Amino acid sequence: MSAMRVDAKVVMLGKESVGKTSLVERYVHHRFLVGPYQNTIGAAFVAKPIQVGEKVITLGIWDTAGSERYEAMSRIYYRGARAAIVCYDLTDSSSFQRARFWVKELQNCEEHCKIYLCGTKNDLVEADRSIRQIDYHDAQDFAEEIGAQHFETSSKTGNNVDDLFQKVAEDYNSTAFQYMTAEETGVDLGQKKDSYFYSCCHNN
Amino acid sequence: MSQRTERRGIHVDQSDLLCKKGCGYYGNAAWQGLCSKCWREEYQRVRQKQIQDDWALAEKLQREEEAAYASSHGAQTHPQSAAPAPQPQGAPGHASLGPFSKFEEKKTNEKTRKVTTVKKFFSPSSRTAPKKETQEGKTPSPSISRHASFDTDQVSKDFVEFLKNLQKPGREIHKQCRTFIMNMSSKKDLGADELSECVQDFYQNMADRLMSHFKGSSESVEQVMDQVEKYIMSRLYKSVFCPETTDDEKKDLATQKRIRALHWVTIQMLCVSMDEEIPEVSENVVKAITDIIEIDSKRVPRDKLRCITSCSKNIFSAIRITKNEPASADDFLPALIYIVLKANPPRLQSNIQYITRFCNPSRLMTGEDGYYFTNLCCAAAFIEKLDAQSLNLSPEEFERYMSGQASPRFNSSEVDWPQTGPAPGVAPANPVLAQLNHNLELLSGLSSRQETLMEAAQSLQADLLSWPEGVQREVQDILEKYPLEILPRTASAIDANNIDNDNLPPPLTPQVFAG
Repeated sequence: MSAMRVDAKVVMLGKESVGKTSLVERYVHHRFLVGPYQNTIGAAFVAKPIQVGEKVITLGIWDTAGSERYEAMSRIYYRGARAAIVCYDLTDSSSFQRARFWVKELQNCEEHCKIYLCGTKNDLVEADRSIRQIDYHDAQDFAEEIGAQHFETSSKTGNNVDDLFQKVAEDYNSTAFQYMTAEETGVDLGQKKDSYFYSCCHNN
Repeated sequence: MSQRTERRGIHVDQSDLLCKKGCGYYGNAAWQGLCSKCWREEYQRVRQKQIQDDWALAEKLQREEEAAYASSHGAQTHPQSAAPAPQPQGAPGHASLGPFSKFEEKKTNEKTRKVTTVKKFFSPSSRTAPKKETQEGKTPSPSISRHASFDTDQVSKDFVEFLKNLQKPGREIHKQCRTFIMNMSSKKDLGADELSECVQDFYQNMADRLMSHFKGSSESVEQVMDQVEKYIMSRLYKSVFCPETTDDEKKDLATQKRIRALHWVTIQMLCVSMDEEIPEVSENVVKAITDIIEIDSKRVPRDKLRCITSCSKNIFSAIRITKNEPASADDFLPALIYIVLKANPPRLQSNIQYITRFCNPSRLMTGEDGYYFTNLCCAAAFIEKLDAQSLNLSPEEFERYMSGQASPRFNSSEVDWPQTGPAPGVAPANPVLAQLNHNLELLSGLSSRQETLMEAAQSLQADLLSWPEGVQREVQDILEKYPLEILPRTASAIDANNIDNDNLPPPLTPQVFAG
């Protein structure tokens, strides 16, 4: 797996136990974690090829430790990320506050990083509406305000999970295309130095 | 270091001390028994030979390729347009090693040696590798430099072999790399960041060219770039790893000291889900520690990254065995921090800086190796900033542990095992601590037994002392009870009392028989 080349870095952010790992696990292996399973040794880093139109784009998905004690280090993680999936738990309002914090951090430090807001554990909310703590429209408003895409997913049922990552890949593809055309017409984006390393999704 | 201890040995013959070349000066074990001047000549000769070999190899390749090129292009002869760069007599780096007043040199050498030895004695650890490095820079020990030159030789050969498959562009690549290395050796005085920029620019240019050559096949570009990185960095390693212009070395020492001061941090404080009681887990932990220490021994950034990746994989297996499910980042980072604390890897900061500065960025930014490297950076940052809060301790406790006034006992109740796993209430912090406590118990048992033994011995002694007194008293008593009566002595002949004398037969009289 280490030999697989990766086009874009996608970083998962969110408070502890909002289900970042489960989300990745569901998306990559199409399963929800109940009981032991043996095939993978770790779900912290995954390289996942995705078909976008005629191309295949490989996303490198970086899981991060959500515990507050590592907060000071999170900047090291999202450095150079092309997309960040900021997760919050639909049944936990504090996790949404933390999501706001990360969004602010990302906007300050990584302007080239696209943000995706993701409410998790949708299945719980659907089973019992009273435990929902984050209103869909509030989150939607916040997403629009920061110019982010907004999803509500369930790793247990798989609802919306594929859509989320597909969208990430598509967006990456179109921005990478912009980079390349910009380069070809000689527009200096002040990013020339990184061009090769960021826009390497050619026909494989 | 072994050489130095040898030097201090007692059994030294006077003749052994002299230079082996017989020039009359004293030799030095670190210089293979030569004096500084002879050793320098010898070393210079070996180096010169290696440089020449390298050039010869490069030229051979060039000729071969030109021949191949000429034959493929028939009569269309090329006037050596890509003539090899004029060959300088020895790289600029070695000019500084050239001969100057030998006596003066000897003196300064002696001085630096002394200083470093003294420093060695006072430095708190045997692992102050950076110091060794600087010493090597001044008086490279022949065994090491020979080994290194063998390595770089091998790397050059591999690189040339690899480029052969690429035909014409291969030659171009080789030429560029060579020129670049030459340029770099003249830029030794630049700061680390500028050097890094040079290397990164070179990677970028090379990648761009390769990109247009391979018509955008990024796999081939990647492959060539890996080889280029390997070749260049194994050549530049000595001059750009932990350069004197930075404070990398200071940071290394600070980190090392810090980690040593944090020796008391337990696996529970970090909430690591690894149970070292399980033999497989502890095996993985040991492997991970070995891997992370190994980083320092590699020269190429990519090889260093590989060590980190292999270390991480071992941690993942350890967590999986403990938890029976794949590890997430929430498990992994604390475990990595724990491993770094346990391993105290040599020159950690230098290595991180070196990789950051000179690794091909595409690898560092996105791939799996990059992910683990980022985690290692995080671990290092965490350890640097670690305080009471990050271990869920009160500031007072933290202070007491740091100052060594107290050490966390395994049965401290406030840290509980985060896992629903096989924690039997008061799980020992780690096997070593458990062993320690067990030993303490044994010792206290022994000491109490010793005490009873001593008591018994003392009472025995008292008994022994009182016994003769008792016996004497008894004898006295008996003597008093039955006083000795001395009866008057009555003198008498043996036969005096024989009253029935007459009844006895008369004594036999001897009879004489004739015969």
